[in-house]
Amino acid sequence: MADVNYSEAEKTFILHGIQDKFPCREDGRGCEDYRHMEIETGVVSNTSGSARLRLANTDILVGVKAELGVPSPEKPDSGCIEFFVDCSANATPEFEGRGGEELATEISTVLSRCYDNSGCLDLKSLCIIPKQQCWILYIDVLLLECGGNLFDAASIGVKAALYNTRIPNVTVNQEDDEMEIELSDDPYDVNRLDISSSPCIVTLSKIGHYHVVDASQKEEACCLARLMMGVTAKGTISALKKEGWGSLNPESIFDMMETGKKIGQVLNTSLLNVLEEEEKSGNKRKTVGFLK
Amino acid sequence: MPLDSRRICGPESTQSPHIFTVNKDIKSDILLNGERKDGRKLDQIRPLFLRPGLISQAKGSAYIEQNHTKVICAVYGPREVMRKEDFSMKGQLTCEFKFATFSCKKKRQHQQDAEEKDLSVQLLEALEPAVQLDKFPKAQVNVYITVLQNDGIALAASITCASLALADAGIEMYDIVVGSSARIHGDVMLVDPSEEEEYRSQDCKDVNEGKVVIGLMPSINQISALTSKGEIDFETISQAIKTCIQTCQKVYPVLQNALVNSVKTKT
Amino acid sequence: MANDLKTFQPKEYYRKFLEKDVRPDGRELGECRSTVVNIGSITTAEGSALVKLGNTTVICGIKAELANPKADEPKNGYIVPNVELSPMCSAQFRPGAPGEQAQVLSQFVVDVLQNSECVNLQDLCIVSGKLVWMLQCDMICLDYDGNVADACVLSLVSALKNTCLPKVTVNEETQAIETDDKITNNLKVQTTPVSTTFAIFDDHFVIVDPTIEEETLATGIITIVTKEKKLCMVHKPGGTPLKDSQIQLCIDRAIERSGQATKLIDETQCSLDR
Repeated sequence: MADVNYSEAEKTFILHGIQDKFPCREDGRGCEDYRHMEIETGVVSNTSGSARLRLANTDILVGVKAELGVPSPEKPDSGCIEFFVDCSANATPEFEGRGGEELATEISTVLSRCYDNSGCLDLKSLCIIPKQQCWILYIDVLLLECGGNLFDAASIGVKAALYNTRIPNVTVNQEDDEMEIELSDDPYDVNRLDISSSPCIVTLSKIGHYHVVDASQKEEACCLARLMMGVTAKGTISALKKEGWGSLNPESIFDMMETGKKIGQVLNTSLLNVLEEEEKSGNKRKTVGFLK
Repeated sequence: MPLDSRRICGPESTQSPHIFTVNKDIKSDILLNGERKDGRKLDQIRPLFLRPGLISQAKGSAYIEQNHTKVICAVYGPREVMRKEDFSMKGQLTCEFKFATFSCKKKRQHQQDAEEKDLSVQLLEALEPAVQLDKFPKAQVNVYITVLQNDGIALAASITCASLALADAGIEMYDIVVGSSARIHGDVMLVDPSEEEEYRSQDCKDVNEGKVVIGLMPSINQISALTSKGEIDFETISQAIKTCIQTCQKVYPVLQNALVNSVKTKT
Repeated sequence: MANDLKTFQPKEYYRKFLEKDVRPDGRELGECRSTVVNIGSITTAEGSALVKLGNTTVICGIKAELANPKADEPKNGYIVPNVELSPMCSAQFRPGAPGEQAQVLSQFVVDVLQNSECVNLQDLCIVSGKLVWMLQCDMICLDYDGNVADACVLSLVSALKNTCLPKVTVNEETQAIETDDKITNNLKVQTTPVSTTFAIFDDHFVIVDPTIEEETLATGIITIVTKEKKLCMVHKPGGTPLKDSQIQLCIDRAIERSGQATKLIDETQCSLDR
């Protein structure tokens, strides 16, 4: 993790703020409040779908590329989804060289675990000819700036980019024994992915005796253990992972899970609302891009 | 794959003969008339065999066997930090998790693959809260785990095995970490699943199919590791965690016993 | 006192023992450590064996896969042995690519297999020029207390004798590969190579089956591989030169040892088959 060294006094200040239970986190939020979030989809034109997310200082760009490929022998009748996370050295100097690799694999394994079940994303619909052809979704997550809570931000970015993804329609023509695939070249003849049950990650950081969502970088430095949950709109949990070098009491884990479930559901619905709204505004929408 | 010049290499591409099995048994439900195929009760764990301190060269070691699952672990250190970039004032713990090439149905590679790297990290996170790292500043303790055969619960068995080995090495810990795993299958919970019963994402269609792994420090009631896979609803996953905690508590005296016995035989 | 001498003057300590024809662990110069063979304990492997020579432990697992044969040897299968000196077996090994010693050992095992003609590679042929077996044999050292070479060879031969391959056919019409798990064939192992390692101490004491301490103090190492009471291969990587008579002594002992080891494998194998 991109650690910053804070003095003991500063850590104690943050700890006490949260301990007082009074909504008094260092930036004045309550324990269950997210920071301001900005999201824009369709920012990279040469991808099948893309999204850029800014959560306070955390900046993430997600691109989805759909390519034709061969399904894996274990799952011959479904498509594949592959995550790749790149921690750019722009985000923090620590990522220079191979410094960000560990964090990057951690984020990508958590993401792929969240999507590693048939409920979250219908991979079967990505299959074209069983055992021979399917769509492979390469999801590239580029970390541009670190401002804490990278896992949540990445998952929200991924979900938005998947919402934005358009996969060209494919028709299969069978001639004798030869299967022929024809790719539609009409840019409007496309399929979309159903992301209504895709998960968002909610990370709960245990600070002192309480847990907070969406920890800032400073708060992350004070946190001993956290729980990451992939939560779907239905409130089901698609992945759970404890992280950090502290341990947790079972009771507090259940408390954290409860909070996570509640927050996750709200997060999912509001994300979907925002995405739909953005879509409705259509071409009239003012694109913001990176220059703002 | 890049050619490995330091090993004897075989042909470039090979295939497992089991892909082509004719008259393959169609994968049926994991339960037969509501019972497990090996005849166990739902909450029954397989017989456990533990043997701390079997590797003569290591500071501490342990071997664990649960039916066909066989895991061996060695602990070295505290020893000097090899790379100077890794230097830190606090003690460090490293974990290397490896499946032996012949440990699974599918052949494993010699080099660590992504899954093994992920498991190494999970193992490390399970053990770190238990080890008193401040007792060996500027030094590191290395934990090496090899799964000789995987018949389910590779991670949970590794957690238990590694903490036994750490205890055998005399590394100070707050408590032993006991690993345990449960498979969630609809509204049924299968404790200590075998390889056949373990969760695979490809052949599950419904909600509430998945697995949970926890690492528990029983005497101080702290969970040091918790991971789940598969889409599960809130109540079921809470129940599964509770079931796993109970299993850990059941296994705990057995571990203590094994350690006490090994100390007795040493002196 | 004895411990002090052992720490500060290990050579002197050993010399004191060897002059009286005994070793610090109570063995005579020509005595091997107790040998345990456990065959077929890994069921995910097509063949497996665990060998313990005193503390030294090596486990060998064989995974069989299908491959295309080489164009110039259309009937030959592959045997790919690799010795893994994992970081768990001794403090001297670190994780990562195999070190020099592991590479030397792997090559030694390859040479033993070739020279002893232990398995006829043509037995691994399924369809000539099309499909053959590839046996990947991995010997993982779990505890490194000297003389890993002997343990590796012993575990490999035991595992090969334990190897059971499913019946694989190629359908002539569709060219599809068909595997029948229910019918299995035992791999034919023609000879039983046994390797015996000697350490040379102070240029004239020849001690068999050295422990790690003895290996580090030794001035030379010689490994003799025999098959069925015949000499098959001698491996002597440098070190003290030996006299004819000494080598002859080693060969005699190795042949004696080979008889014991072969008997041990066969007995374990029989107890397994019941």
